[in-house]
Amino acid sequence: MSQRADAKNIEQVNSKEIKEIEPKEIMGFLKSKMSARFKMWLNICASCGLCADTCHYYLSSGKDPQMIPAHKVRFLKEILKKKGKVDRDFLQKVYHTVYHECNMCRRCTMYCPFGIDIALMISLLRSLLLSQAIVPEGLLTTVKNYNEFGNQMAISKEDWVDTVEWCEEETADELVGLKIPIDKKGAKILYTVNAREPKFYPQDIMEVAKIFHVAGEDYTLPSEDGWDGTNLAMFCGDAKTARLMVENTFKRAEELEVQQVAVTECGHAYRALRFEAPAWLGYTPRQEVVHSVELFHDYIRDGRIKLKDKIKEPTTVQDPCNVVRNGGLAEKNRRLAEFLSEDFRPMKYQGNYNYCCGGGGGALPMGGEMKKYRLASGKIKAEQIRETGAKIVFVPCHNCIDQIRDLSKEYDLGIKAIHFKEAITEHMEIPEEMIPKEDED
Amino acid sequence: MDFFLFVEGPLLWIAFLTFFIGSILRAALFLSVSRKRDKIIYQYFSWKYVLATLGRWLLPLNKDVTKNPIFTILGYMFHICLIVVPIWFSGHISLWEESRFEWYWTPIPDGLADWMTLIFMAIALFFLLRRIISADIRLLSTFSDYLLIVVVALPFITGYFLTHGTVDNIGFLGDNIQVIHMLSGELMLILIPFTKLSHFVLFFFSRGATAIEFGRRGYSV
Repeated sequence: MSQRADAKNIEQVNSKEIKEIEPKEIMGFLKSKMSARFKMWLNICASCGLCADTCHYYLSSGKDPQMIPAHKVRFLKEILKKKGKVDRDFLQKVYHTVYHECNMCRRCTMYCPFGIDIALMISLLRSLLLSQAIVPEGLLTTVKNYNEFGNQMAISKEDWVDTVEWCEEETADELVGLKIPIDKKGAKILYTVNAREPKFYPQDIMEVAKIFHVAGEDYTLPSEDGWDGTNLAMFCGDAKTARLMVENTFKRAEELEVQQVAVTECGHAYRALRFEAPAWLGYTPRQEVVHSVELFHDYIRDGRIKLKDKIKEPTTVQDPCNVVRNGGLAEKNRRLAEFLSEDFRPMKYQGNYNYCCGGGGGALPMGGEMKKYRLASGKIKAEQIRETGAKIVFVPCHNCIDQIRDLSKEYDLGIKAIHFKEAITEHMEIPEEMIPKEDED
Repeated sequence: MDFFLFVEGPLLWIAFLTFFIGSILRAALFLSVSRKRDKIIYQYFSWKYVLATLGRWLLPLNKDVTKNPIFTILGYMFHICLIVVPIWFSGHISLWEESRFEWYWTPIPDGLADWMTLIFMAIALFFLLRRIISADIRLLSTFSDYLLIVVVALPFITGYFLTHGTVDNIGFLGDNIQVIHMLSGELMLILIPFTKLSHFVLFFFSRGATAIEFGRRGYSV
């Protein structure tokens, strides 16, 4: 039911039709979504304010009380109290708060004595807005692309396969025997990328191909839909599209008979496939989902990748919300950074309690509309990075890396933000037999 | 029936039964709705993470202790006094002994009960002032946030007056302080299931649910 409603709403937004707010529809929607937890949380929040200074929006705004997490979810209570009788102006206010003032990073939940999950309630408000055809332009574009092309960047199947083949050609010169297997049945791992990689950052595909080749990994990429692991639909509460995306990936995993689905250095894709997919699909997929951080960490730990040297400049590592706090990879993320560094400097709050960079929860793909808010809220991350004195920041997430690069410019940090892939390919030992012989030219 | 006898008898029964049955219903309501709407809790249920989170937050072993030490420690003291004094004060226990149940358990020393009452009142006043003075907390606060601090503080204030004869010479108050004390306690008990004071039981479910949500990601919160 609600999935069909989502589809209808996306169409409505597409047609730019401004519809009347229907209180009955709002209440019907909320009734269908109000879980026991939501009701309990609205009931018991003691308004103690301990969540205030856990939020990077609160801290970066000079402690503006409007930015207190517990205050941001007041709308939910208000809408219920007014029995859904709200107007478009009111919903615009909700929109501003839930999109421009929260990255759904869940740091506040870590400090709430009751463990109230504010981000989950913000997410509910976002899907309520979608039910009234209110959704950020930037996210809407990706949702349209997901439905039409199967990936967020509107890349055709031909272009995707061409890009992968081109990446293989470009890299084959550097490592003897390097292949990027497409649709290899029975491979151990199905590797999914972020659609930004074939579009803007093909080096990400080349680098991971090198790492897999040196580690002797048995992997494949799919040619059909499912290769883009991203799932921005989940940030605007579009469950139908979110489900479609994970379904595509697991369909490929079944067809190709792989054991694992691996995700590139992208946070929300990992969270969607590993932790949210079972709820959307109604069953738990058979394939284990692993993030690149985990794979790379294990390669180095187990000696499948040996490092010839380490980065000499001081380094630190970002804890992307959906890799660490919401992905459970705090330790491996930090240890991987330590493996690669001579002078690793942890951030204050490194790990599960780290601050969001300000680019999460769909903030980056929202584009221009969000830019000033994310640069302002990113001040906390910028200060954290500056405090470490690091020159290199490992960032295993596509959204975080763009944000941190922007922050470096905005706050003049003079740092270089890189994916782990880049550091590993640069510092790994290439086995003798893989080094191309010069005289063959 | 004499008003005093009513407050001492039937109303006390009503208050205790409302408190007990109401709290049980609160818990039952959460359990029954969550079985349908929050399947994730049951799908990934783990005593390990539930017990770990309860231990960490019932004892001052959590992150808030280092983040906001003063507020957190005061919060713990407030709750300890709130639970210990009414149950272990000698005057209350002797009433239980005289009652049809003839229950008895060892009381805390009266001097300690006095101190705990004073500390409790001081912290309650601090919480109330903080709510009024801090712009942050004021914005978050609803009418019931202020009211409930008064509601839980009243039995302590009146209890202190009663045991120390503080207001004995003040006409109406002096004549009726015992019934006022009982009424204030009964009011608090009755309000618990219907207000955010219900966190006294829902705390366990809320923390448990969130512990499972993060526990399935492999770590304890």
